Amino acid sequence: MNFMRQVSQVLDTEHRASLDLLGRVEQVFARAPRAGAARDPEFASLAAAFGRLIEQDIARHFDFEETELFTRLSEAGEGNIAALLREEHDTMREVAGEILPLARAAAAGTLADSGYDELRRGALEMVERQVSHIQKETMALLPMLDDLLDDQTDRELAFAYASA
Amino acid sequence: MMAAGAFLGGATSRLLPASIPFRFFGAAVAYHLLAWLALLAGAQWFPRFEAGLGWPLAALHLVTLGVLVMTAIGASLQLLPVATRQAVRSTRWPAAIWWLYTPGVAAVALGMGAVLPWLMAVGAAAVVLALLAYAALLAGNLRGARGMPGVVVHGWAAWVCLLVVLATALALALFWLGVPLLDRATALALHVAFAAYGFMGLLALGLSYILVPMFALSAAPDERLAIASCGLAVAALALAALAAFGVAPQALRVFVIAVAGAAVALHLWQMREALRKGMRRELGRSFTLVRVGWTMLACSLVAALGVVLDAPLGGLVTLFGLLLIVGWLLTFLLGILQRILPFLASMHLARGSKRPPTPSSLSAERPLVVHFSCHLAAVAGLALAVVAESPPIAALAAGVGALGAAAFGVFFVTLQRRMRASARPRQTAAPPVA
Repeated sequence: MNFMRQVSQVLDTEHRASLDLLGRVEQVFARAPRAGAARDPEFASLAAAFGRLIEQDIARHFDFEETELFTRLSEAGEGNIAALLREEHDTMREVAGEILPLARAAAAGTLADSGYDELRRGALEMVERQVSHIQKETMALLPMLDDLLDDQTDRELAFAYASA
Repeated sequence: MMAAGAFLGGATSRLLPASIPFRFFGAAVAYHLLAWLALLAGAQWFPRFEAGLGWPLAALHLVTLGVLVMTAIGASLQLLPVATRQAVRSTRWPAAIWWLYTPGVAAVALGMGAVLPWLMAVGAAAVVLALLAYAALLAGNLRGARGMPGVVVHGWAAWVCLLVVLATALALALFWLGVPLLDRATALALHVAFAAYGFMGLLALGLSYILVPMFALSAAPDERLAIASCGLAVAALALAALAAFGVAPQALRVFVIAVAGAAVALHLWQMREALRKGMRRELGRSFTLVRVGWTMLACSLVAALGVVLDAPLGGLVTLFGLLLIVGWLLTFLLGILQRILPFLASMHLARGSKRPPTPSSLSAERPLVVHFSCHLAAVAGLALAVVAESPPIAALAAGVGALGAAAFGVFFVTLQRRMRASARPRQTAAPPVA
């Protein structure tokens, strides 16, 4: 998909990178639970990347969207979509609160086998919610930004996001 | 893309009460099982079945009216207002249609299977009345549509086809009661083309422009190409109608198949591009069924050409019907249905919920695995039964199909149970409609 605004392009690039990682996470966890997986170095590396993605999404991506974009969306009469996307952020924050400590433990190689099942359940839920959310943003939010932002606002927001 | 975005964004505020679409889907799931059982009962006639009262005809109508049209009513009444940004209209009328249509289908099927023309006529009257009411609701939704012109054009074309289907169905039912209204061969040719490729086919192709990009996470296909594909399909149907009335039947039908082939090729090319450019590549088992359905659609046109040219292959008419109804429409619909049901359930539960369940947490994977294998094995088995002219193979295939349909039923019941369990703690759920 081609977007005209820098902000849309940056968010789209992040979405694509997220989808790639989420796909890998889904593949690993969708398999039957493996004994000892929690101590596998490859698994630890993926868990670390997943943890970073969640932290970055919540601290930077979500905050930027809520502060700078959803407000503009509401003002443009698209309050329904803005409210829906914000609700989904809240839900994902809640899921993130549950799985981030587990993902960090898995990244450090200290996750107990009993924690693996919990991480698996939470990670698959997070993947599904993230994919569905990116779906909505790609189809609703990003195309609207092309109309909603003028050149100068687009430049300023893109700079502010890059510096955040 | 904006329209698709609005579809996702505004969807929760434009949903019918869950009890309305799900009653249609539930009835379709039940009739799906009954269709395979009716085919099992009529397996000895299946390999060379072309027309005539009996269990194969009952099985055919349990699939077409009971599964395909039943699902089309539920899906179109729910999806069209959401996709075309309209408020929900009546909730009583869809419920009333279900109460009239569902027993009507049962009476038609039983009348056909047990060779009771009076029961078939009573059922047909109920079905026709219900579908006329549905046509009025569909017309209202299409008139008020904003955006998505490609989908709306497909909807109107399907609407016109529905009227032709109803008129020819009445003519065929009256024929069995000894009141010939229209030459039977003409009525039958119109009925098959306008029901399968027309009403159901065009609705399936039209709704694909919403659903496939949405699940694949791709840009909506070019509206002009969608309208062009629809135009070619409509032209093919109009020419097929002329051929049915005896205008240069063989030459015209060959031309019709070429035009229909162009319409299908254009549609499938757009779908392939949507999937190829989609950000979500792994779409799972459900989309394998969708792809098989698309392949069978193309195969049905090849079989139609064989029928028109009188190819020396026994059971070609049966094979054509199998590819068209079970191979294309049923396979495609079951693929989409197993994807859309958990999605729709999750959207219903999202209303007023802090942490709504995900679609996969409402779905049941194992029954779908069983259904997938059984359905494909049953379709292949039925094709083999036709080629080998073997009633035992047809019976075996119908049994396997029934097992798959039962597994699909388990999936649906599990989904309903999980929906109820998730909805129970909330007080804000919409009350069911009678």
